[in-house]
Amino acid sequence: MTFPYKGYAGYYLEVDLTKGKVHKKEMEKEWARLYLGGSGVAAKILWDRTGPETNPLGPDNVLVVGTGPLTGAMFSPSGRMMFAAKSPLTGVWAESHVGGFMGPELKYAGFDFVIINGRSEKPVYLYLKDGDAELRDASHLWGRETDVTTRMIREELKNPTVETAVIGPASENKVLYGAIIVGFYRAAGRAGLGTVMGSKNLKAIVASGSLGFEAYDMDKYLEANEQEMEKLRDPLWTESLASLRKYGTTDLVAIINEIGRLPTKNHWTGFYEQADDIGPEVIAEKYRIGQEACHGCAIGCKYIVRVTDSKFNTGPIGGPEYETLMAFGSNCLNNDVESLFHLGKRCDLLGMDTISCGKTIGFAMDLWEQGFLTAKDTDGLNLGWGNVDTQVELVEKIAKREGIGDTLANGVRKAAEMIGGEAWRYAVHVKGLEASGQDPRAHQSIGLTYATNVRGADHLRSLSSLEELGYPGIVIERFGKEKADAILDIMSPEHKGEVVWDMEDLYALVDSAVICKYGTMWPPVYYYDTFVNTIPHLTGMTEWGDAKFVRSAAERISHLRRAYNHRLGVTRKEENLPPRLLEEPMPTGPAKGGLPDLDIMLDDYYKFRGCDKETGYPLESKLKELQLDFVVDDLKARGMTR
Amino acid sequence: MKAESHAESPLLKSILAIDINKCTGCRNCELACSVAHTKSFNPSRSRIQILKNEDQNLILPMVCLQCEEPLCEQACPNGAISYNEKGTLYVSSKVCIGCMNCVTACTFGGIEIDPMTRKAIKCDLCWGDPACIKACEYDAISMAEAKSEGLDARRKGVDVVNQTLGLNIGEE
Repeated sequence: MTFPYKGYAGYYLEVDLTKGKVHKKEMEKEWARLYLGGSGVAAKILWDRTGPETNPLGPDNVLVVGTGPLTGAMFSPSGRMMFAAKSPLTGVWAESHVGGFMGPELKYAGFDFVIINGRSEKPVYLYLKDGDAELRDASHLWGRETDVTTRMIREELKNPTVETAVIGPASENKVLYGAIIVGFYRAAGRAGLGTVMGSKNLKAIVASGSLGFEAYDMDKYLEANEQEMEKLRDPLWTESLASLRKYGTTDLVAIINEIGRLPTKNHWTGFYEQADDIGPEVIAEKYRIGQEACHGCAIGCKYIVRVTDSKFNTGPIGGPEYETLMAFGSNCLNNDVESLFHLGKRCDLLGMDTISCGKTIGFAMDLWEQGFLTAKDTDGLNLGWGNVDTQVELVEKIAKREGIGDTLANGVRKAAEMIGGEAWRYAVHVKGLEASGQDPRAHQSIGLTYATNVRGADHLRSLSSLEELGYPGIVIERFGKEKADAILDIMSPEHKGEVVWDMEDLYALVDSAVICKYGTMWPPVYYYDTFVNTIPHLTGMTEWGDAKFVRSAAERISHLRRAYNHRLGVTRKEENLPPRLLEEPMPTGPAKGGLPDLDIMLDDYYKFRGCDKETGYPLESKLKELQLDFVVDDLKARGMTR
Repeated sequence: MKAESHAESPLLKSILAIDINKCTGCRNCELACSVAHTKSFNPSRSRIQILKNEDQNLILPMVCLQCEEPLCEQACPNGAISYNEKGTLYVSSKVCIGCMNCVTACTFGGIEIDPMTRKAIKCDLCWGDPACIKACEYDAISMAEAKSEGLDARRKGVDVVNQTLGLNIGEE
């Protein structure tokens, strides 16, 4: 074997669904050295193989399934994996990450990456076991919901411990925000990557592994690992961790409502008067029956609920995350928490992104209020705010693309185009991705995050919790004393370009390593030095012991993803915010009157990112400095460098 | 069933006790065990195994209980299972022939076959300093003395198994 590094399984798999063939290949040294893994490597692969001419739902799209060196390597929290492709929902870069046990299992089964090409004639699933891979018939699984699919695969393989990533009927029916469900209730939800699987007739990816992998210097790696864990154990974070363990992400309903940033009534405002009804306390007291954790995770934010004596009865299921409570709850003015469990569960079983689905329903409810939709458009359904029965019905209709569901299955941007008129004013998205549960009118920097995020309006590429929750010590440490006051002012645009630029690069490493945002986003414990300390001992890549090299790698990944989008037509014009978040001052709540100063922040961001202010295009010199000469060659010919 | 030749395990000193109510099923113990025994990240080679079915909210840690009357030892045709000087039952991989009799004999899933070496492996308490205990951030695993309190704690960790098997052990 010539792949020289440890910490990786050392192989990747090329799958040609059209021919029904799989090819096992040795990992590329330069992928690891320059892009680390996960999102970084996926960016390189997608840049090389897809572009403006790629049809997201055609056989020419490529789905990358990825892990990173820290995946399954006892770093906490690292039980994650990622998927990437050109998005059918947005038409631009898409990546989606998910926890559980599948990521580590992929590596133990002998593969760092799986690259899925082409389209199978018949439904199939991919089975990876101890260095081998085979495509198996999935005709009998097609049409099944995700839990049934998972159980059937486990039975068929006579192995109750195989890990799975499956799609449900929604992705088969080409709902544009189909999710990939891992285990039973964890989702790589955003931007329609499940739909990409569905378009390829790939029902599931299944892994079982006993190969394991080694560290370059196990003792030194474990020591470095322990030092990082000590940061997480600092008494400063005891409360944060206790909260995550007790409430999971549901605590955010209360915390975020308190700062007036909880999307309510299709993002009309950021304050929900009934937030307590769908908040952490009621869930913990009445419904929660257990705690759960992803692979090797010391945080353990997942929780299990059960509902009895209700029309929404359910046996044990993974409880909804903050985003689900927000999307179907506050955002649709629905304060019936039991219905939210049900809606979240149905989305998991049908295989749909709860954020895009809930947000699209909220958008439709808004159009109903504004008179753009009437009963004759909605198959007789009453789309009044908070109508639980309608929400339940719509989720099923969307998954089947039935009646009004056929329009809403396209997400808010496309649905607004189909409905016409001024409907677009109520479509809260960036680049076609429905906004997640934040609001820049209450938190300036999230506006810049939404605008610049390569996959559209969500927080996961660069959200800063530093001013959101107020961590002066960390702000001073990272950005210096002079800038601290302005940065800590949640409604000041000053220096936010720098903060978001810094976060985006940091998360580029998190997403390539591949680890969880917890520990980095919140609590903000891990930083660039975490990678400098651990990666060399784990992998033997000595260059990663150099802080400058590590920061360059992060910038390289950020720039390559941006370049991918430029080639698809994204410029400063598209790095924008929807009118509701940019022009309508926050009407109620603690953040009343707030509006983001997007232009100021964007100018600042482009300066730090090394981009031209007018267009957002990268500077040629910057790309060359990052060894992205192949990007210069391509973009320059298209007039997309400066 | 009692085999005559086995006294009340005079050598047994320490056991692992698991509080299943604290276990989140994160499986970090498996990782730590595999690192301690194989110098690799490979949970399938761990001597502690978490049986997990998210579909049923089932999380069940399984590890050798260091039985007073070890069925695995009695089932071994080659005498590969014996006490070490720390008072812990362990498998000598040199003597083990991988026949799996012990795996069949143990009702608690406390002994398994290493997928690499094809020999039996079981918890040896890391010769006194178990890696899994340090790796458990939820404090679900502890080392107990093989006296009544510790034995009671050990029993609680396998209540689910006992119920499944229809065994009634201890109080309740």
